[in-house]
Order: sequence, then structure tokens, then C-alpha cells
Amino acid sequence: MRYYLGKIGLFLLTLWAAITVNFLLPRMMPGSPADAAIAKLSQNGPVTPEMRASIEAQLGVPTGNPFQQYIQYLNDVVHLNFGISYSNFPQSVSSLVSTALPWTLVLVGTVTILSFIIGTMLGAAMAWKRGSLVDATGSVSSSFFSAFPPFWLALLLLFFLGYVAKAFPTSGAYAATSVPNLSWSFLVDALYHSILPGLTILITSLGSWVMGMRNNMINTLGDDYVTFAEANGLHQRTVMLRYAARNALLPNLTSFGLVLGGVVGGSLLVEQVFSYPGIGMLLFQAVTNQDYPLMQALFLMITVSVLVANFIVDILYGVLDPRTRR
Amino acid sequence: MTQAQNAHVTGTASGNPANGPASDKDKALEVATPPSNKGEHSQPRAKHDSADDNVLIRGLRVAGRSFATVWSVPKARFGIILFSLIILIAIFAPVLSPYNPKQTGFETNAQPSLSHLLGTTASGQDVFSQLIWGGRISVMVAMIAGILSTALAVVIGLSWGYIKSFGGEFVGFIVNLFLVIPQLPLMIVIASYLQNGGMKVIILVIVFTGWAWGSRVLRSQTQSLRSRDFVTAAAFSGDSAARIIFHEIFPNMLSLIINNFFGAATSAALAEAGLEFLGLGDSTTISWGTMIYWAQNNGVILTGQWALLLAPGLMIALLAVSMTFINFGVDRLSNPRLREGSSR
Amino acid sequence: MSLLHIDHLSIEYDTPGTEPVKAVHDVNVDLEQGEFVGLVGESGSGKSTLGFAITALSRPPARVSEGKVIFDGVDISTLNQEELRKQRRGGFAMVLQSGMNALNPVRTIRNHFMDIFKAHEHVQKDRREARAKELIEKVGLPANTLNRYPGELSGGMRQRVSIALALSLDPKLMVFDEPTTALDVLVQHEVMNTIRELQKSEGFTAILISHDLGIVLESTQRVLVMHNGRIVEDASSREILEHPKDDYTKMLLSHYGDPRAEHVSVPGLRTRENANEAYKENAHAEDNRTALTVSHITKIYPAHKRGDGEVRAVDDVSFTLDPGQSLALVGASGSGKSTIAKMITAVENPTSGVITLGSKHIEKMHRGRDLRALRSDIQMVFQDPYAALNPLHNVEYILSRPILNYTKLKGSAARNRMLELLEFVGLTPVEQFAAKLPHQLSGGQRQRVVIARALASDPKVLIADEPVSMLDMTLRAGILALLDDLRVRLNVSMLYITHDLLSARLITDNIMVLNQGHVVERGETSKVLQHPHDDYTISLLDAIPKLQVGEQA
Repeated sequence: MRYYLGKIGLFLLTLWAAITVNFLLPRMMPGSPADAAIAKLSQNGPVTPEMRASIEAQLGVPTGNPFQQYIQYLNDVVHLNFGISYSNFPQSVSSLVSTALPWTLVLVGTVTILSFIIGTMLGAAMAWKRGSLVDATGSVSSSFFSAFPPFWLALLLLFFLGYVAKAFPTSGAYAATSVPNLSWSFLVDALYHSILPGLTILITSLGSWVMGMRNNMINTLGDDYVTFAEANGLHQRTVMLRYAARNALLPNLTSFGLVLGGVVGGSLLVEQVFSYPGIGMLLFQAVTNQDYPLMQALFLMITVSVLVANFIVDILYGVLDPRTRR
Repeated sequence: MTQAQNAHVTGTASGNPANGPASDKDKALEVATPPSNKGEHSQPRAKHDSADDNVLIRGLRVAGRSFATVWSVPKARFGIILFSLIILIAIFAPVLSPYNPKQTGFETNAQPSLSHLLGTTASGQDVFSQLIWGGRISVMVAMIAGILSTALAVVIGLSWGYIKSFGGEFVGFIVNLFLVIPQLPLMIVIASYLQNGGMKVIILVIVFTGWAWGSRVLRSQTQSLRSRDFVTAAAFSGDSAARIIFHEIFPNMLSLIINNFFGAATSAALAEAGLEFLGLGDSTTISWGTMIYWAQNNGVILTGQWALLLAPGLMIALLAVSMTFINFGVDRLSNPRLREGSSR
Repeated sequence: MSLLHIDHLSIEYDTPGTEPVKAVHDVNVDLEQGEFVGLVGESGSGKSTLGFAITALSRPPARVSEGKVIFDGVDISTLNQEELRKQRRGGFAMVLQSGMNALNPVRTIRNHFMDIFKAHEHVQKDRREARAKELIEKVGLPANTLNRYPGELSGGMRQRVSIALALSLDPKLMVFDEPTTALDVLVQHEVMNTIRELQKSEGFTAILISHDLGIVLESTQRVLVMHNGRIVEDASSREILEHPKDDYTKMLLSHYGDPRAEHVSVPGLRTRENANEAYKENAHAEDNRTALTVSHITKIYPAHKRGDGEVRAVDDVSFTLDPGQSLALVGASGSGKSTIAKMITAVENPTSGVITLGSKHIEKMHRGRDLRALRSDIQMVFQDPYAALNPLHNVEYILSRPILNYTKLKGSAARNRMLELLEFVGLTPVEQFAAKLPHQLSGGQRQRVVIARALASDPKVLIADEPVSMLDMTLRAGILALLDDLRVRLNVSMLYITHDLLSARLITDNIMVLNQGHVVERGETSKVLQHPHDDYTISLLDAIPKLQVGEQA
């Protein structure tokens, strides 16, 4: 119980820190992001005092009272009020984010879980058959693919499978002619559109799980309890899964949270290549248009999602490792 | 007899030499830090020269042995050769490239030919020459960012691990925060505020967001080393904390540090390419990242000039791959279990 | 026909790229049903390698290069993997040296049993729970141990669980590879008793691999002595004890002694009487060296977990250590003896009480100049000579650090002092040893370097924390003799921390027995050990193998 309480406490503290970093970041930058934002916003029409206060709270002006701004900023965050996007005027930042977020969450989430499972199993098998052809090919190719820049692999797949072979759609998350709904045909279409971006993320993220698991398992295979299990004549399958792999899984799970950030980062670029209407593409738009309110909100959403994923993994770890229960 | 499937080394139990695999690795640093006898008790120069010679020769021998261990791993050997090749190409770019990479005026969007091995860009520049010159930026960013973030990781990791009062919990929290905040989005946000800051900004951003992992790894190694008797013994010998850190602990972590360097350099190379691909770098310089950026902007996918995409990306991948593969060998220095009994 | 027949067995370590190293040479042994045999040898003798080969657990780079192991009429090298796996039920079982780590940390003890039952299906499904309970009780543990995870058990309990697990296979042959080495003295004794009882009641054939001839003689009927990969003697325990034939066996035996005896001596070490005589002859002036006084020190650690009470590691301990005196601090682990050492060296500060060396107060020192001055007066000899030397520095560097830090010597004077120290600890030719790296030295030589380093600052007090427990029996006498010599020649006083009463008897004049932070008995070493009063002291003495043949022989 103490373990879980500690993890919840740490999660809340980290969440607060991340939100605060998001507050401090634009304030530490040279120039005045807030003034730039207000100037841009005024091109679209008059800026009300409320809008101005909200932007100042988010991005900061040197003359303002930082404490007051911080309170308002926290209030805005709690109410998911991130102001108006001026690259997509007059839509609010939160409505843009809430349209884009599900696409990224589903795509990156599914692929990451898939990649973790496949990678872990592959790594375990390679460690078990260490030195074999499977191991040699596996470790060479997984480190090879994980060194690929994700956006580049995305471009290659797009070019060869999308344009040359014309086997997959080249942009978007669904056919341009349809409107998102929960019908069967729409879901199939969405799945079809997600194959190339998904494949890219899968290929480039797989390697770290494979190699992580392989090295962990080589370590656990050298542990005494594996020798003893073998001396007791347990089935090879039991020794491999319940003894060696089960213990190797734990440290791999710990690195899950840390690798996750990288996967998310890579997938942002991948989305941009495939014009996939998720967080990544929105972030790219925000960056090219210097739409700071949108950018800050997106950064916050990404960070919070990763924190939440980390937290879930921590809880799962507690379930899997009896040593945390005391 | 079908062999049992697992590949561990049975405990040879008796007299497992503690000085086996784990120790040769560690020695290489003697070269880098010859005992600098500072302070009140420094010895007369003349006397110490002979000892320095010894240390130097010993250090070189150890470095040679460590290199041999790394070299003995085929993957690492491949990595070292590939890495050296890329460095050589970058160094000798002026000699190797057929044209000035910025020279325009060739036929635009030309397909590969004998005079332009990879074709030309939309503004009529020779792609092959750009490819050769582009390595300079990528390699430089990777190396500088790798060195800086490793240095930061070493300083933070070692002091965090050795000095108990070094605001332990607080530093730990900050490091963890940097670990969980996704690196690339953070980079994108910072770089986008610092528009057109050029290479310096990119390197600083990469270092600022990339040191945390290494410092955590080095910290836990420091902690395990600091509880070793030889560290306590050095304190009993009257050595200062700084001397203990640099003469007792640091040399024993060299392989981890090298490992960390190549890891950091790999992610720096990838991050740099990513930032430039988003147009957040200096798009007027010629690097592999900007080449892809321009290729995509000019829609080479539609014109079918796949070489413009394939070549620079492949070079980035090869640079990253070469360093990852070198680390395969370095891993064996730091983890004896990865080294022993590999056959099955 | 014998149960186990080892026929001209040789084993090599064959690492690619290096010359194969022969660990076991031409071993021939026959074992009859029901025998309890000891396999004795020092580190590197090949005894564990042989044990792993007998139970078919050898892994690369170890490789049987010649000969075979025939178990129950079958050459085990001809078995395929599945046959071998099945053979492990009702065949041979092994209890590992590091039994503490032999259990899967994420599975309950019950699951460990169930895994074995499922693998061999030799116990009916509805009988399994009862059988597991029966086995766990057989090794002296309560039935609810089955619900626990390994991390919740002590080292001794975990080793008992391993034994129960091995037993659940109904083995004909059990190989115990140093089953008690990693355990505390008292626990060691109890676990050995359990093993002996089980061997009698269950009637399995057993091989006890150990570095300790005493433990082996006490338990087994027959002893194989192994040296440099060869079996140098194979005889009944009585025969080995009373008429050893091989020189190596004789040498091993000569290093044993009973600390309770009236006169105790070991080759290479002078008796206490002679040592004290020599001390007097050396006529140490009543110099400015002063006594270490410890009065009423207590160390309380805060509770580990909420709900636990605070830990009183040391409770009201007082003693005085005069120049040239040697005092033994004995007790099992957790008795507080190492905590006392930490407080004397100011690594930790006592919760209450006073420690003085001459006029210096140690109890409140933290860091800085005072601590530095203190460390030049109080030095340590560490337990593990492999861990106490940085593998990267040569002997010259290691020894010159304290010389440069604590003395005014510089340059060639410092170097001469370094060579003098090497000479003093018996590492000659000194120039050669000065240039060596730790891995080029044997364990005994390393410990000499550690002692030389401790002497460099010309200390008044030396704290030796189990300085010989990691060394082979035959190397111990030399190190003990050296430590004893320091007192005689340098007038250093020594606090000798150990759980080994024999060595305490050999090199100390006074003794303090610690149990759970309290001093339970103190006095002259020879008197206390010959006529102990406290129960704890008696149980410590009883736990020592007596170098006599056990009743079953």
C-alpha cells in the first residue's frame, strides 16, 4: 500500500512540476512570446482584455505580476482553457487539441503496447537462444532499425508503399470523403490509413524493447534461481517464462516509461509526414505559424499523457513485483 | 545430446577472480587522467616522471586491451569501421566532393547521372556533393552534443551519487522530471522560441534535454562503487572527496561513460535531423537533416527523385547505426555476463 | 554396482580465443548407496566444477574433456535434454552455494514446490499441498512459509527452502555445494545439523562440497581431498583425521585447532606466551601513544519501516584499548561489532557515549581536519582484499597516497618509506611488488598490501575487520602472524573483529563477546574461551566444527 501511495504522491508532484515547467518555459525565452501572440491574434480581430489576460497568464509579460499570472494559469489549466488559436482562428485551443488527441492516443498507444509485447517476446526468445542465428539476426536488425530516423522511414514507406506501389493511402487518418463516425466501414478505413504510420512507429520503437529485454534476460539467465530451477528438472518452458523472462520483464517495464517519451516524440514527426490529424501534425502547424498558445497547450498535453502512461506502468509494476508490496 | 537452451555460465564457484572481465575495462582512463599531484603534498617533478611513464605505458596497454575487446565483437568492429569512414568523409569533404555543394546552375531536378551521381536539387545543386558536405554538420552536432551532455551527466551523476548531502532527493526529482518530459516535444518548443538560433542553439537544446538518462545511470554506478571498500580505504588514506571521485570512482566507470557518450551522440544525431526536418534548424546550411527538409518541401516524392530522400536519411541512419554497434562492444566491457559464454 | 561412478573425468574451461584451462584432472570416484561423502578443497581446487559436472549442470565454457560420469548405471552424457530433465526426479539433486539467491523472487515458496510437482507429476494433484507442507516442516520451517516470497525470508530460511525443494525430487544423490558458507555462524551450525538429520532419516547418498575440513569431518564418513583439480586423498573420515597420507591433507589439518583447548597453536604463528615475551623484549617506551577509550556508547538507528521499533545496534558498550594491546570483538553478524568499528573510525557517530583517543574526542567528529588527523591515528584492515584495492592502481600508487597525505615525506623519501612498508609486510622483492597491479597478486598478498597501506600513517590503533575470513585456511596463519607482529614491533594496538574464535584465540589477549549490541562476556581470551559462562558464548563455541569425526562414521 505504501508503494502505491508513494507512487500517487510522486505522480501528483511530477504533474505539478510539469505544469509549472510549461508555465516557466515561455517566460525564460528571449523576446516576449506573449506580445508576439497578441500581435498575431489582433490580426484576426479585436483582442478583449480577457483574452489578453489569458495569454499573459500563459506566456508571461515582464511587467505582469508572475504570482497572479501563475494562479490564473493554474486555473486555466484546470478548466482546460488555453485560449484561442490564431493559426486556426477562431477555434479555441482546447477544441483543436480534443479533436486531435484521440487520433494520437489510439495510434501511438496501440502501437506502443504492441511494440512492447512483440519486442519483449522477441528479446526473450533471442536471449534464450543466445548465439543462435535468430539471436544474431534479431540483434543486428533491431539495432539497425532503431537507428533509423522515424520521419525518414516514414518518408520511405510513404514513397515506396504509398506512391510507387499504391498499396496504402498517402495521407490523412480516413478517406477525405468520409466524416468520422463509429460505423464499421469507417473503422476499417481508419485502420487502413493507420497502417503505414503505425508500421513506422512499430519498426523504429521495437529495437529498444528487443535489446532491453535480451540484455536483461541474459542477466537473469545467469542468476542462481535459474540454475536451481534447471537442477530441479522444471520444464524448459517454465524456466524460460516463469523464471528467467518473468524477472527480466521487471526492469524492462521500468524503462517503458522512459522509452515512451522517445516513441511519442518520434511519432510526432511521423504524423507530420503522413498528414495524420493528430497532436504531432497540430504541433507542427503551431510551430510553423508560431502559434504559441496552441504549442504550449500541446506540449502540456503530450507531457501529461506520458506522465499518466508512466503512472499506469508504475502501478502495474507494483502488481507484478511482490517485493514492492511490503 | 541436445544442449540445454540457456546460456549462462555456471558458477565456477571457487576463486572466481574479481579482477577478471570487470577490471580491464576500467583501466583505460589512466591515460586520460594521469595522477595530477596537486595540493600541498605534490612531489618533486623529477621523481614523478618515471611513475608517470609507468602509468602512461600501463594506461596505454590497458586502453589497447579494452579496444581489442571491443574490436573482437564483430558488430562493434563493423561499427568502428563505418564510423571511421563517415568521419573521414566529413573531414575530407573538400577533396571528395565533385562540386561546391552550394553551387547552383546545374539542371534542376535532374535524375541521377554520371556527372551528378544522385541527381540535382530543385535549385540545381549537386546532391552527391551535398551529401558529402552534409556529414560535417551531423557528425559535428552528434560529437559536440554527445560530449557536452555526457560531461553534464558525469558531473551531475558522480556528485549526486557520491556526495550524500548534495540535495539528493531534490536532484533526483529534477532528473526524473527531465526523464519523463518527452525530449523531442520539449526540444521543438524551445527551438521554436529561439527561431534561427543556428547550430549553437540546436546543440544547446539537445544537451539541455538529453543529459538526464546518463546522469541516472552514472549515479547508480557511483553509488555501488562508493560502497566498495577501496573507496572507503582511499578516504582512510586521507584522499579528498574530489580526488576519490576522479581517481577511484571515475576511472572505474569509463566504459559506462563511453557507452553513454555514443548513446547520447546517437540520439543527438537523430534529434538534430528531426529538428531540421521540421525546419527548426538553419535551413541555409547544408546538412543531412536540411537536405531531407528541402526534399520534402520540394515534393520529391511526387517527382520520383527518391535519391534525395533516401541518401541523406540513409547516412543519418548509418551514423546512428555505427555508434549503436560500437556500443555493442563497449557493453561487453561493462557487463561481464554479456561477454561470457556466448556460444550455444 | 555403485550409485555413482566417476571414470577418469577431466574438465576444461574453454573460452574462445584463449588456451583451455584444466580445472579437473582425471578424477575417479565410486559412491555407494547411502554414503555421505565430503569433497574438500580450497578456492580454485575444482571442487565445485566437479559438483556441477556430477549433476549435469556444467555450462560453457566448462566442458568435460575426458572421461564420464555414470549414475545408476547410465552415462549421463548420453542422455538427451528431456531424459536428463526426467532423471532429475529420483536421481541427483543439487543445493547451491548461494542458496539465498536460488529462489525466484517473484514466486511464492508454494509455487516453487508446485512447479516441481507439475514438472515431474510424481505427486498426485490432491496430495501436493500436503506434501509441500510435509517437506517444509521436515527442514524445520513452519507450514505458513509456503505463502511467503523469498524476499521475506532470512538467508538461513531460504537455504532450508532450497533443501526442501531438492528433497521434493526424492533424489538418490544430493550434492550440497558449500551449503552454509554464506550463512551466519550459528545459522550455519543449525543448517548443517538439519542436513545431517535428513541424510540419516531419508537415506539419500550425499556429497558435501566445502572448503572447511572441520565441517566435512564432522558430518561425513568419507572424505575426498581435492587440490589443483586432482583428488589427492580419498579415505574414511577417521583415516583422514588420524592418519592422513597426503602432504596437502596434513597441511590442511595442521591449520585447525580447538579454541577451547588449554594450548592452541598453528604452524607459522607463535603462541601467546611467546608473543607477549617478544613484546616485552622489544621494550617499548611508555611513549606518547595513548589509549583508546570507549565509554558507554550506544547507537540507535531509526526504524526501517513504520510500525517497527528503532534498532539498538550497540547498547552501552565500554572498553579501553592500551598501546600494544590486542582485543577481540566477537559475535555473529548483527551483533553490533561492525557498528562499533564505524563509530571508532568516525564513519558514524554514536547516539550517546564518549570515545577518546588520548585527548581527542571522536564521538562528534564529522569531517575536515580533525577527522583527517584521526584517520592517521586509527586505520583499518578490510575484510575482503579483493574489494579493498582499486583494480586500476598499482601497489606503489596505493601505498604512496597515505604517505603523501599523512607524513611530511616527499619524493624519494616517500618512495623509500613505501618500499620499507612492503618489506615490513613481507612482499619482497619490493621493487617488483611496487609495480604490480592488484589482479597480479594472490589473496594473501593483497591483504598484505592492505595492511601496509594501513601502516603508512604510523597509526596508533588498527581495526582489523575479519581480515582473514575471505582467505583460504592455509593463507590465514601468515596474515595473522603479520598482524600479531605489528603489535610486537610497532606497539600498535589492535581491535580484532571476528566471528572466528580460533583466530581470536591465536592473536588476541583480551576478548569481548557481543550479542545484539550488548557485551555478554569479557576477559582474557584464553580464559573466556576455555571457561565460557554466557550461553551465547557457549553456543558460538559449539558451532565450531571440532575437527573430530562425527558419530555416524
